[in-house]
Amino acid sequence: MTTLTKLLALCVLTLSLFVTSSAISATFTFTAIPDADESQLRTRFEKVALYLEKKLGVEVKYVPVKSYSAAVTAFRNNQVQLAWFGGLSGVQARRLVPGSQAIAQGYEDQFFKSYFIAHYSTGLEMSDSFPDITEKTFTFGSKGSTSGRLMPQYYIEQYLKQKPQHAFKRVGFSGDHNRTIVQVQSGTYQVGAVNYKVWESALAAGKIDTNKVKVIWKSPTYPDYQWTIHSDVEANFGPGFADKVKAALLNMDSPELLNSFPRSSFVNAENKDFQPVEDVAKQIGLID
Amino acid sequence: MSQLQQVKSSHYSLCYWQIGYWQKITLSIWLIALVIIPFADIEIVSFDPFLELTRMVNGLVTPDFFATEYLLQAILQTVNFAIIGVCLGLVLGAPLALIYQNPIVSSCCAFLRAIHEIFWALLFLQVFGLSPITGILAIAIPFAATFARVFHDIINQSSDSPLESIDSRADIISRFTYGKIAQVMPQLMSYTRYRFECALRSSAVLGFIGMPTLGFYMETAFKQGNYSEGAALLIIFIALIGSIRYWCPPKLLGIYLVIACVTLVDIPNVDSNLLVRFISQDILPPALVNVATLAEIQWSSLTTWFSTILSEQAIPGAIATITLALLALAATHFITLSTHAVASKHLCPAPLTWLGRFILLIGRSVPEYILAFIFLMLLGPSMLPAVIALAIHNGCVIAYLAVKQSNTITPQQMQMTRLNQFNYHIMPTIYPNMMALMFYRFEIIVRETAVFGILGIMTLGFYIDSNFSEIRYSNALVLITCTALLNVVIDIISRRLLKFPQTSKTRC
Repeated sequence: MTTLTKLLALCVLTLSLFVTSSAISATFTFTAIPDADESQLRTRFEKVALYLEKKLGVEVKYVPVKSYSAAVTAFRNNQVQLAWFGGLSGVQARRLVPGSQAIAQGYEDQFFKSYFIAHYSTGLEMSDSFPDITEKTFTFGSKGSTSGRLMPQYYIEQYLKQKPQHAFKRVGFSGDHNRTIVQVQSGTYQVGAVNYKVWESALAAGKIDTNKVKVIWKSPTYPDYQWTIHSDVEANFGPGFADKVKAALLNMDSPELLNSFPRSSFVNAENKDFQPVEDVAKQIGLID
Repeated sequence: MSQLQQVKSSHYSLCYWQIGYWQKITLSIWLIALVIIPFADIEIVSFDPFLELTRMVNGLVTPDFFATEYLLQAILQTVNFAIIGVCLGLVLGAPLALIYQNPIVSSCCAFLRAIHEIFWALLFLQVFGLSPITGILAIAIPFAATFARVFHDIINQSSDSPLESIDSRADIISRFTYGKIAQVMPQLMSYTRYRFECALRSSAVLGFIGMPTLGFYMETAFKQGNYSEGAALLIIFIALIGSIRYWCPPKLLGIYLVIACVTLVDIPNVDSNLLVRFISQDILPPALVNVATLAEIQWSSLTTWFSTILSEQAIPGAIATITLALLALAATHFITLSTHAVASKHLCPAPLTWLGRFILLIGRSVPEYILAFIFLMLLGPSMLPAVIALAIHNGCVIAYLAVKQSNTITPQQMQMTRLNQFNYHIMPTIYPNMMALMFYRFEIIVRETAVFGILGIMTLGFYIDSNFSEIRYSNALVLITCTALLNVVIDIISRRLLKFPQTSKTRC
């Protein structure tokens, strides 16, 4: 019978897990996925949490997430009240949580762009007009990325007049901008679309062999990353809290903190700034 | 079987030579693979992977154990999720094993088992968020369904004779416990131990979608090209799996469970509204949301929605999944035979078998995702990297179990060379069991094609992942159901086609 008692003990223990609830405390939680460097996320963003804690006077916690969709889910479930979203994920999140507000964006995000890059064997060169890349193999970045998926797909459909899966010989999703660069550089894919900031920082870091891969087209500018705050914060943290958060973000001037994103500074943003992103997403059928 | 023999004997006069049962099975696996190769996407496209490969190799020889933040916590959580997941799976699954003969129970279990941990986690993520409950349930549910089936099989195969020696006045529980369970206890324990190893792998894989386990950092490291960090994490992970029997003897499991419960990351409050919202809104087809009565439903838009998913996602995805799985099965067969030969003490001298066992450890410990990632760089974005990754991983698991069995066989005392001994005594003895394991594994191969979807290979998993990232849970749920049904059908067909002699003692 000892097995049975053991089993019972296990049962009780496991069940007890599900009923213990942590004490309800007003912790302000945020999440962020930077576009370039995803290593050491917690170490870097816990510094941002400390900064916000000092400015806001409430406990602030950082939660690392893996993908834009996980960030949107956490925001929707009110498990994070503030998030550093990409253009598309921000639009998705604000549609799911009515009353949530875009409060700040990176200085660079007001005029963000995507680069199309190609392997040298394609013979494609930099041009101002949209390159002829039909029948090539092509990779996007992650499925939910604005600069690696949404905008490139929009321009492909605009200029090539067909869906990517028809226009190209093969379409892939590398999952990440750095991967896109590596895969095009190694010839795994002939052409790819990449976030321009990631490209430029990889170039500066000497990770790119420009004999193997080069930029062939630069997209027009569009709005991208932004901070979005949940509609419930006023109720939970007092009136005027959203404005306090906004002020704290706009006043962030320590290069160490800003480099985590990496942005030169944060500037004002509003929901309507991202209308172009929403329109494009609707047009290519990513949102209904 | 008897039908098969009849067919065989009626054709016997026509056939000069007779092909045995296992030869037939083996040949058909390879024949199927050869037939579908022309239709499969296995093109090699890679111009110069060597720059990146050099980086990978450099990383592998210079592992950096200090690059990962909160490393100890990640290891601890990987173990915690696995232990609690397995225990909960046992608590739920063991009782089900007793009523598994009920067709409703067994088909429900087959359905639950067919859904990959990653999909369970993606579903629970919507309700529980990034809480440990998500990870634990994602492990516990499919594991419970597997425990139910395997425990049922084990108990069924046990002998009835101890029952007869028990006093007939004894109550039913005592009769069952002492007459049945007692004799299969070692098998149940050994299977549980094996599943614990599986749970560690699953726990790490859940990191790929955001659980705070080793996989979280492993995926980032490989994706970002920090191969030194990635190599260090892989080494830690392989060491963790390779040393289970030293740090987790079954006796200490209870203590580990308590430690796991205490050191688990904080569980945020469960909001029941989220569950309600998930069921009443998120997973409903767009045409059914905000519909109050049956009359308001727009049936035409509902059917268009459903047929679009079916024709554009489910069917192409299912075809890719099956193609990939069948090719992987043939390749797994090849890997199993060759690695088993290297690691078997009957064929190779001791130092070589150590190497062989080390290869088996690495092959079965490295998550398929990482293997596919490396081959993707080498061979380009076709189905081939996934086939190779699945074959290496599953081949090594089967070979590992087969070596365990073949090492218990005593060689015949005859004037025979090692090679002949291996080919004419050892292999025929273990081959049926090896093949049985392979077909058990086929179900798992089909499930695991899901992971490659997330890497961009267009299996059903790819479309499910896309729908989650587009926040279309209803579509995702339809596809997950399709995946599960596909698995159930494959399971039924393979059981019908191959009526295995039920002698296998090791399962996977």
